[in-house]
Amino acid sequence: MTTMTSARTSSAATGRGPRLTGLNWLVWRQHRAAFWTLVGGTVLAAGWMVHQRTGMMDTLHALGWPHPKSGGWETSVGSTLTLTGYGLGFLPILIGVFVGAPLMAGDLENGTAKLVTSQSVSRIRWIATKLGVTVLVVLVGTVVLSQLFGWWWSPVKDTSVIGWSERAVFDNTGPVPTALTLFTLVGGVAIGMVLRRTLLSMVVTFGFAVAVQLVWSYFRLQLGNPLSLTTRSDVLTSSAPAVPGNGTLLDESFTTASGKLYGWGTCVGESTEKAQQACLHQKGIVGWHVEYLPFSQMSSMQWFGASVLLALTVAVIAFIFVWGRKPVI
Amino acid sequence: MTTFLGTGPTAGHGRPRGGAPAAIEAYGVGKKYRRGWALKDCSFRLPAGRICGLVGPNGAGKTTLMGMAADLLAPTTGSVRVFGTAPGSPEAQRRTAFLAQEKPLYRRFTVAETLRLGRELNPGWDQRAAENIVRAGNVPFEARIGTLSGGQRTRVAFAVAFGKRPDLLILDEPMSDLDPLVRHELMGALMAEAAAHGTTVLMSTHMLAELENVCDHLVVIADGGLRLAGGVDELRSAHVRLTGTFQATGPAGADAALARHTVVDSRADGYRITALVRPAGPVDGVWQAETPTLEELLLAYLRSPQVPPLITNESQVGDRNLAKAVAA
Repeated sequence: MTTMTSARTSSAATGRGPRLTGLNWLVWRQHRAAFWTLVGGTVLAAGWMVHQRTGMMDTLHALGWPHPKSGGWETSVGSTLTLTGYGLGFLPILIGVFVGAPLMAGDLENGTAKLVTSQSVSRIRWIATKLGVTVLVVLVGTVVLSQLFGWWWSPVKDTSVIGWSERAVFDNTGPVPTALTLFTLVGGVAIGMVLRRTLLSMVVTFGFAVAVQLVWSYFRLQLGNPLSLTTRSDVLTSSAPAVPGNGTLLDESFTTASGKLYGWGTCVGESTEKAQQACLHQKGIVGWHVEYLPFSQMSSMQWFGASVLLALTVAVIAFIFVWGRKPVI
Repeated sequence: MTTFLGTGPTAGHGRPRGGAPAAIEAYGVGKKYRRGWALKDCSFRLPAGRICGLVGPNGAGKTTLMGMAADLLAPTTGSVRVFGTAPGSPEAQRRTAFLAQEKPLYRRFTVAETLRLGRELNPGWDQRAAENIVRAGNVPFEARIGTLSGGQRTRVAFAVAFGKRPDLLILDEPMSDLDPLVRHELMGALMAEAAAHGTTVLMSTHMLAELENVCDHLVVIADGGLRLAGGVDELRSAHVRLTGTFQATGPAGADAALARHTVVDSRADGYRITALVRPAGPVDGVWQAETPTLEELLLAYLRSPQVPPLITNESQVGDRNLAKAVAA
């Protein structure tokens, strides 16, 4: 479908959709393969998720939704959600490497930056249009996918099918996928502008995108305010209290009356139970201490993390414009 | 015996400074790259309406100078003005077209789309002028740029530059990959365009034929510095090629006779001396005097870096403006 429009002469531009003019036309024409891939990928993924949710709801209704009997379906639904979420998790990396990095680097490497900037348009307007159109396409795509994934997951969000704080869910719902993707995208654009070589920029952007994912994974659970539960019970005969609701367990430990915490492996080295008791008693351990993140914090954690990422994105965009202001050959 | 040379002491007295508005003014322009200075302290003025050849050895700073006028590079020192404004200003951008040496175009665009690029991005676009240039080479509009030959691609790049209808056309070695026939045709189109619209052209070239037939103005740079700037006729008539024999003067006599003049280049064999001289008045001695060809002039100045440069009056920028620009 892309070759069809390209064969037309300019004066008879009868492309689908609104007729683009000026820089918008140039940017869309130059990157239309990438943009159509993004659009097509979004449509495919959206179709897949709608299909999966429909199937899941059929199963659930047959089992007495909204309180379905358990029995086998959790595993298959959970694994499909996890796999899809896992796949969607690659999008920031893919978009950063294949859309972000070549966006400016290609023009700088091929010299077409000279062609465009020696027309009657300013460099800044050109860069702004390239970035603007790309960000818009990526923004719309990620918002659609995020909404659909959330819609698919929401019927089972209170069950144990898949934890809300797992990467597959947390990174693919709400504002997170958009923020992660936009940050990686503009990072790739900036890397491409500085390095001015397409392939090199793609490699470096890949490293950058993976680093973003690693750092994000590290900080994901630190975005919330952990709550704690304390019991007064014999730690040898009772197990740790269950986390209320659908909360995410962060840490289990022993506590003393004064609140001093010991790891739950404390005193297990003693040979007899009596010796263990004596050991625990001697340390003053009186019960369990559990730290967890309640499900109710999910949304605020997502927005907090996303706003940090969006602030970084804005900073990178500012850098791109400062860098792009100076003449480049 | 004294041979009176018909020329005045130096060139350019007939024309008042600033008579024609300037297309390009360079004030103490320098550009430093990591490997050193590509251009140093370059000051000149290109009057509007000229077809100016920019000549110099490879690596002399020609592309750098053109890049600065086209706002692709910022000078390290000094400043460049295009029609009195900064090269990056909207007015200068609208009035200047630049054709880079490698003729960059989008390889996956068709020829028609490439012309559309020009039309979409330039308010004064002349589609007919652009299409005519493409048609003259029988380049199919539906062909993708990547499938064209080098010469065809150059033609399309020319069409984009012409279609903009610029007041200043900057061409970096425009003809290097064209066959003689196409070169002749495109040069003809260039001259017709320039004549019809008063376009100023600044083109770098290595081809003397192009210079002799097309250019009426010359800027020569070597080793990052200006060597010559001015109208071709004026520059030529400011010099004289002298041929004398030692029988008439003797070696010492020849040196003495030429001492008060600027000898740009001289070579002697056993009994004869040939010198290209910028005379400071009548030359003593018996000489056969001729006005040098453009080629002789060029070669002499490129060979002799120690000879002070010659910038004709109309090619000089005002000292006051220069001081202001350097201070700023």
